[in-house]
Amino acid sequence: MKHKIDIDHICELSHLKLTEEEKSVLAPQMIKIVEWVTKLEELKFDVTLNEIYSSVSFPLPFRSDEVLNSLSTELALSNSPEKNREFIRVPKVIEEK
Amino acid sequence: MNLTSLSICGLQQLLAKKEIKAEEVVLSYLEKIQEREKRISAFITVVAEKALARAREIDQKKGKGRLAGIPLAIKDNILTENIRTTCASKILEDYVPPYSATVVRKLEAEDAIIIGKTNMDEFAMGSSTENSAFFVTRNPWNLTRVPGGSSGGSAAAVAAEEAAAALGSDTGGSVRQPAAFCGVVGLKPTYSRVSRYGLVAYASSLDQIGPLTRSVEDSAILTQIIAGYDSKDSTLSPQPVPDYQKEMKEGSPSIKAACLKEKELKGLNPEVKDTYYRTLKWLEDLGARLEERDFPSWQYALACYYIIAPSEASSNLARYDGVRYGFRSPRYQNLKEMYQNTRTAGFGQEVKRRILLGTFALSSGYYDAYYLKAAKTRSLICQEFERTFKEVNFILTPTTPEPAFLVGEKDDPISMYLSDIFTVTANLAGLPALSLPIGLSRQGLPIGLQIIGNHFQESHIFKLAFLLEKKVKFKNNKLTFDWKEE
Repeated sequence: MKHKIDIDHICELSHLKLTEEEKSVLAPQMIKIVEWVTKLEELKFDVTLNEIYSSVSFPLPFRSDEVLNSLSTELALSNSPEKNREFIRVPKVIEEK
Repeated sequence: MNLTSLSICGLQQLLAKKEIKAEEVVLSYLEKIQEREKRISAFITVVAEKALARAREIDQKKGKGRLAGIPLAIKDNILTENIRTTCASKILEDYVPPYSATVVRKLEAEDAIIIGKTNMDEFAMGSSTENSAFFVTRNPWNLTRVPGGSSGGSAAAVAAEEAAAALGSDTGGSVRQPAAFCGVVGLKPTYSRVSRYGLVAYASSLDQIGPLTRSVEDSAILTQIIAGYDSKDSTLSPQPVPDYQKEMKEGSPSIKAACLKEKELKGLNPEVKDTYYRTLKWLEDLGARLEERDFPSWQYALACYYIIAPSEASSNLARYDGVRYGFRSPRYQNLKEMYQNTRTAGFGQEVKRRILLGTFALSSGYYDAYYLKAAKTRSLICQEFERTFKEVNFILTPTTPEPAFLVGEKDDPISMYLSDIFTVTANLAGLPALSLPIGLSRQGLPIGLQIIGNHFQESHIFKLAFLLEKKVKFKNNKLTFDWKEE
């Protein structure tokens, strides 16, 4: 299988901007890694094989439905890069006409 | 008396008899840090004042906990309330968590003393600690070598006696591989045995917190304290935690173990191979029944891991966007640009590589070819383990294909990824596995044996490791570095 990776599209999806220089290093590395992982194509799977692996083999326990204390607003905001009173500030998301 | 050379057990006894004080223990460790840290660089943050204040409180306290006065180092991706937790990333450089991870709470409830936060590969992505955004940690056995990774700072701190023991996290071998490189004991517990609440997520279906210690007994002591049900991590098993320290010493284990066939060890460093076979011979002398086994699916394990882990990482790391916490780029015109510039400036190259790789594997048109295939391969690997554990109670492998490599030696990502060849399978199948130091190479570099057990069989693993530890007599006293050189 010939591998092509549209690096600009993947960057867009990942919210990352790469310089042309970074792209010229990362894109061929990614192709190499992807070629390496296609080793998996050699495997023939039994049709009954479960596609979804579950990390736990027991029913997940639920906690009782009670309201518990959580972080205070002040603590929750203590690491925010920019805030205004009890709000986090971000650039405007609604565009003006 | 050199307090820092004692095990947790040794310190516990002296502290209980009141022959020493917690304050003296902490001071001894701080002196070692002062003396050695310049060369090792194991810690991102040392909390000397806090640790001393806590030690004095504990010395006054009546009814002390099981780890009273024991100084521990914590990997910097495990949250510690009011102590900076960076993940060795610029994006979290100034992050001070408002709460502690469950494991930290459990240790502190037993009066353990947090002495500092250790260096790591950024977001636990790497096998050498060279991917830290801040500095490279050195291997205490040879300063030109890496300590392994991603929990390299924790392993180096324990080996260099800068902490009595440490916690690390293991996603594909990140506790066991540095343990092997630094000559310490490292355990990755069964998935769902130890709470991940407060562990910065890398690949959630693989991540597990585990101890790095200078003895098997210390590993059992710490595991017992950090394991167990936690309502804050819904994947945790409700199974009760056994008394590992006690069970470890009861009776002699019946050892029926699978070991690797000669052909599976092709390309392995000859000294690692010799040390592995010598250890197997010792086990046979101790009455173990060993069977050579084929693990056909293992040759696909790394490829499977390097699709699953980056896929989960690309999703987990989407949260670092400069909005709620962490670094925010000051350069932006709009929200989207803020996200992009923050992530671009905040993440290092390996993290970017894995985010891109994961995004690619999950993207439309490629999901079936990559992610789904990897998920099926994972099920196949699990089935193979299930079959094997019907017939044996341990699987023994070298922990790593070679001893610690040189700083800067592996500049190609795939050659670095190959460091995890023996360790990733246990993460993919959620199995417990321990690395035990079993010898030194001619260059004086530690070599580790990996003991993989069945789910929730940590007691068995400790029992075998404890037995072998007595036979191997590995001593942490041959660090080649002359500390008083300068």
